[in-house]
Amino acid sequence: MTKNTCIKENKVGISKHNKFNTSWWVLFILMIAFSYVTRLYKVSQPDHVCWDETHFGKMGSWYINRTFFFDVHPPLGKMLIALSGYLSGYDGTFPFEKPGDKYGNTSYVGMRMFCSTLGMFVVPFGYLTIWEMTKSVDAAAFAALFIVCDVGILTLTRYILLDPIFLFFMMGTVFGITKFRTLFHKPFSFQWWSWLMFTGFMMTSCISVKFVGLFTVILVGLKTIEDMWDILGDLKKPFKYTIQHFCARFLVLIVFPILLYMTYFYVHLQILNRSGNGDGFYSSGFQSQLIGNSLYNAKVAYGAVISLKNHRTGGGYLHSHYHLYPEGVGARQQQITTYTHKDENNHWRVKHYEKEYEEESPVKLLKHGDLIRLEHVASKRNLHSHKIQAPVTKKHNQVTGYGENGVGDANDVWKVLIEGGSDGEVVNTVTSKLKFIHYLQLCVLTTTGKQLPKWGYEQQEVSCNSNLRDKNSLWNVEDNIFPKLPNVSFEVYAPNFLKRFIESHAVMFQGNAGLKPKEGEVTSKPWQWPINYRGQFFSGNDHKIYLLGNPIIWWSNLLFLLLFVFIFMYNAIRHQRGYKDPPKVARMKNTMLKSCTWLFVSWMLHYVPFWAMGRILYFHHYFPALLFNSMLSAVVITYILESARFMFSETIFTTIYHTIKGLIFSFLLYSFYLFVPLSYGMPSTPATEPNSTMYGLKWLDSWEF
Amino acid sequence: MDNIGRECKSKIRKKDVELLSKLQNFNDFSCNKSEKKVINSKNVLYEADCQIKYDSKEQQTLLINIKIDIVSIILFLLAVITRFYKLGEPRNIVFDELHYGKYISLYMRRTFFFDSHPPFGKQLIATAAYLANFDGKFKFDRIGSEYSSNVPIFALRLIPALCGSLIIPVIYHFMLELSCQQWTAILAALLVLCDNAFLTQSRFILMEPMLILFGLFGLYCTIKYLNLQMYGASSQWIWLILALISLTLSLCIKYSGWFSWILGVSLIWVDYWKRIIPNRNISNKNLILKTIFQFSIIHFVSIILYLSVFYIHLSILKKAGPHDSVMTSAFQASLEGGLASITKGQPLQVVHGSQITLRHTHGRTCWLHSHPHVYPLRYPDKRGSSHQQQVTCYTFKDVNNWWIVKRPYKDTLVVGDPIDVIKHGDIIQLVHGITSRALNTHDVAAPMSPHNQEVSCYIDYNVSMPAQNLWKVDIINKEETDNAWHSIQSLIRFIHVNSSQALKFSGRQLPDWGFHQHEVVTDKVIQQEDTTWNVEEHRYTKSEDEKERERDMVSAEMIPIVATSLSFWQKFYELQYKMFFNHQENVQNHMYSSEPLEWPLIGRGIAYWVSSEHNAQIYLLGNIILWYSGVIAIIIYICLIVFYLIRRRRQYYDIDSNTWCHFTKIGHVLLLGYFLHYLPYFFVDRTLFLHHYLQALIFKCLLTAAVIEHVHTLLKRHYIFKIAYYAIICLWILAIVWVFRKFSVISYGIIPLSAVDVIKLRWKNSWDFIIHKQ
Repeated sequence: MTKNTCIKENKVGISKHNKFNTSWWVLFILMIAFSYVTRLYKVSQPDHVCWDETHFGKMGSWYINRTFFFDVHPPLGKMLIALSGYLSGYDGTFPFEKPGDKYGNTSYVGMRMFCSTLGMFVVPFGYLTIWEMTKSVDAAAFAALFIVCDVGILTLTRYILLDPIFLFFMMGTVFGITKFRTLFHKPFSFQWWSWLMFTGFMMTSCISVKFVGLFTVILVGLKTIEDMWDILGDLKKPFKYTIQHFCARFLVLIVFPILLYMTYFYVHLQILNRSGNGDGFYSSGFQSQLIGNSLYNAKVAYGAVISLKNHRTGGGYLHSHYHLYPEGVGARQQQITTYTHKDENNHWRVKHYEKEYEEESPVKLLKHGDLIRLEHVASKRNLHSHKIQAPVTKKHNQVTGYGENGVGDANDVWKVLIEGGSDGEVVNTVTSKLKFIHYLQLCVLTTTGKQLPKWGYEQQEVSCNSNLRDKNSLWNVEDNIFPKLPNVSFEVYAPNFLKRFIESHAVMFQGNAGLKPKEGEVTSKPWQWPINYRGQFFSGNDHKIYLLGNPIIWWSNLLFLLLFVFIFMYNAIRHQRGYKDPPKVARMKNTMLKSCTWLFVSWMLHYVPFWAMGRILYFHHYFPALLFNSMLSAVVITYILESARFMFSETIFTTIYHTIKGLIFSFLLYSFYLFVPLSYGMPSTPATEPNSTMYGLKWLDSWEF
Repeated sequence: MDNIGRECKSKIRKKDVELLSKLQNFNDFSCNKSEKKVINSKNVLYEADCQIKYDSKEQQTLLINIKIDIVSIILFLLAVITRFYKLGEPRNIVFDELHYGKYISLYMRRTFFFDSHPPFGKQLIATAAYLANFDGKFKFDRIGSEYSSNVPIFALRLIPALCGSLIIPVIYHFMLELSCQQWTAILAALLVLCDNAFLTQSRFILMEPMLILFGLFGLYCTIKYLNLQMYGASSQWIWLILALISLTLSLCIKYSGWFSWILGVSLIWVDYWKRIIPNRNISNKNLILKTIFQFSIIHFVSIILYLSVFYIHLSILKKAGPHDSVMTSAFQASLEGGLASITKGQPLQVVHGSQITLRHTHGRTCWLHSHPHVYPLRYPDKRGSSHQQQVTCYTFKDVNNWWIVKRPYKDTLVVGDPIDVIKHGDIIQLVHGITSRALNTHDVAAPMSPHNQEVSCYIDYNVSMPAQNLWKVDIINKEETDNAWHSIQSLIRFIHVNSSQALKFSGRQLPDWGFHQHEVVTDKVIQQEDTTWNVEEHRYTKSEDEKERERDMVSAEMIPIVATSLSFWQKFYELQYKMFFNHQENVQNHMYSSEPLEWPLIGRGIAYWVSSEHNAQIYLLGNIILWYSGVIAIIIYICLIVFYLIRRRRQYYDIDSNTWCHFTKIGHVLLLGYFLHYLPYFFVDRTLFLHHYLQALIFKCLLTAAVIEHVHTLLKRHYIFKIAYYAIICLWILAIVWVFRKFSVISYGIIPLSAVDVIKLRWKNSWDFIIHKQ
């Protein structure tokens, strides 16, 4: 209750200087203009593919061509890129092969403009958020300036990447929830509902661009819990009132986002309806929905050419090729692997365990319990296993391709079992889950999912496990080519949207977890990020662009972060000791420290989890956290200035106040001017040469320009 | 609203009477000011009291004391009976006894070993083994092999079994100290007693029983300290010190003991925050002093203890052994019979003309190597090479590991008089001893790491590829040696002059043509571990005719000491560094590893041992009823606390303040303890096993008992419910005991089982017991 009255009084005016007036508008428009100009200046340069544009541009093209692909990020960001490309006349033909490829006649500027425009919004969102939090024009202006002067954010938001889109939605969410909370005195009004909807929309879009948006969702959740707690504590209102509030938030912040999120995926799956290079990652049933897939017959007969897909999420096809296991790795016979891409070498012919297949013989269907041989169609070798260690998993038996022209030995015989099947049950394409038991060694054909070394082309190991309960030992028939049987309609296998939705998530999470740094690779570590230890090249050659934060801003951010911790501790202890501030000071402190605490929590939320991540990390993962840190710095500066107001007399204070404000403004702008060549491109001369634009600015040895 | 009014009135009355007396000594450690509220228009602050009636309790102390002892002795005896029953059987290596047994035998032989866990647990067992005259000669080769008669297996398993038994009475006292009722405390102890996982884990040479005992005892002392502190008993300090000692020792057994330490210390600080800081009777100055004192006592005790455990560890293990190669040359040289025997008497300062071997300092042990073979003209992926002589990193000592340090402008390799000392920043060439070719690198992609430069020994093919064989010596720890390059001690980077890249061990292996040796490259990222090298063996080049004079000169430069003696701090620092950053133990997908998510519902256990003759086996598995009830208890607790919090926010008080305080205290210690010991495993990137869960499990068992007590207090008005509740609890306990008995066969592993018996125990499809094929 007391807190609420506090905020109300704040609205009346924390001080005369900080009212919503002309200076507010002037600063706001200035910031937008500055932001827009800096972001769009030279946006078409360099006219070649920069850094990850090679991925996201390519995916944009795939959307335009409607071919199916696999990516670890959710689809919204890429769909927006594709949409902007489509609207600005890009036809989806440019291959985006590797960074440095010239665009030539391709109309890529539209996509870049779109991303930069979204990136531009980060600044006004920052301004508005801080304004709503603190009702202080100073703080808002500082925040916007901290954000706009950072060359790192500038670089990151100028290219065809997911980050500008992500940062846009993230800042939108933060602004939405802050604005929404200031409307607590007009509940259920139109304004109230629209800001709640806005927050829900932005939040969902944020997590639909990148999964790190989850941290933003958690932030919104925490703020909502705090909000609900305040409402619950208001004893003047009946409990029913709390329930109403809860339901409203449940609806708009949980139900609506889930529906919206699924809609994004629905659109994604509807657009991508042609078979493409991502098929292999998905189950056979999933693929049956794509135009141009390769499913043929419903029942498997002897003599059919089939491909076998492993049932592990993202599991590949049973594969062999004309290469032998190298010396010292088991028997020197032909390699058997699993491979996630479609290929002629995935084809196997089903044969009776002793008879050869003859064209004229009547059609005989494959049944549960049958003994078979599987012949690799391309190399005419049989799937074979023997009591020799598998290459990576030493406890399993090695699986090889053996024999000449389909003639092998007794170790080529496999028993087919349908999972949960009974004798005489016929093997179906796609739907039957099969196990292949080696007849002599009593082991089950499985894939361990481990990558083979270079000699195995980094495909995955296939082995024979004597533990018949192995989880990865289930396979299903996918391609099934047998002209004597009629073809089947795909609708039989068609999974509904929900199943496809769930499967694409399973595959994405697996893909994300699989992004482990390779041995010997130098990766970026989370501790390096806040200190701006090392950047990332976006473009090389004669137009060098280097993603690096403005060190002045980054390092002072750290300083203010520490300062905040001290200020917070100091005030908490004072409060715990029972000291009271005069009401004016207390009010100022309350607003400022509360905003700071939230910003600090947001910073932690967007930074600390990376420490626990095993996947490969990049420098640009820090930028969401950086935005919060920059806003925190702005509020801390304002806090210090406002505290000075109570310490000095009015005249001295005015002098100090204006001097410091001017100093900070000019300092930030000057540092921006110094480092801006990093974003707009610099010639290839190293910074050690006196004629370089960056001469004398290589402050850390680890910076690579 | 009526309810509130009534309750408020009664409380105000109570307050009027007691307020004055309570202002001084009110406050329990978990609750105090949290319940400020405004009643009607009068701004009367009411503070809920969480006080236990001390006077009445103190009167009863004597009476209770006698009871406690009998109960705890009975509990202890029960534990001893279950834990010590045929402790010496099976006389085979069971599961991780393989590792711990090996470490203990190395302790017996005073041979250095490397383990990524701290040594205290192993030291305890080693003490018992020492007293039982274990000679450490048994070879711990594989799980299941039989112990020879000279292994005092009972003594080796004694400490874990004893600790496992002591856990039970400690739980009893711990629960009493948390102001639970006596029967709750007994129940909690019984639950842990009847868990098969604790039983199994306590019977073998494993660390968990000790880890849990010290952690739990530390927490017990912490709570005792906090309770005593409330009425200022002077014995409180003893309990504080005891708590810190015990918690730190738990940390010294395994690093996961750190969670217990955190819990204990956080309890102390939270109490400090709630009770001491608001106390205005203490002046600001005194408060600061007091805080500093408290802070330093907590950390001082912990750090001293931690250091002394390592001090003992390093002073016992004096001899070189099989794990030496993990450590740096300097460390190895400090061990008896290790490098010291090789490096004894070699010159200290590396000079022009020095013959050296260069060891890759951190990570994989290997020496810079070259041999007359050249790089293949083309690699399989069609890239070309320089076709010059290969340079590799070789994991064995070899005559081809010798290199000669040479100044570029001097032709003779003889060490002159005065010696020409190489210093930090000097430019040198490294000439391969046998082939006399100089170490070279150039802008050719390396064979396995194409983004790095190839390193070769230069052969002049006259193909306009000039030699680039100048290297700058960059001594990392130059302060210690006054810029001079010393053998063993100095850590060196070689910076290539033309390209300013550093010589680096890439970690990849060369294929057949490189004899599977390790690749050496240069990398533009200079500051990384793999670019660090040091001189290991070292001698001066002597020429034929000046032999006599040379020898004089060399003997003048001899190092007088037998072995380099590193100070404790240097050794400690290096050992810690390796323990934290050397993750070689990554067991590749162990057959019985499991995920944290599977633990609470016992997804799968671990096969510890199986008899070679019949199906008698030891399999780590919890008491399934107990584990499932634990999950339910946690859910009940969380639901209740959320419910209470919401109700209290609306000023409805469903339970009286004593019960409420007790309830939150339980949550603060037990629920937090559970999550603190469990959740971190979700972020661990290592192979995990079910036994990692046991530390958290103990808190879950205690919480279960506490929740049962709480539900009981809720039912106090309803007589019939109460009877039904008693009946259910009794049945439940019987079921737990029955499951415990049923599964104890696979905890003890003594009774032979038939395949059918084993399959009958497979209640969950995922429990993969071992059954011998007929």
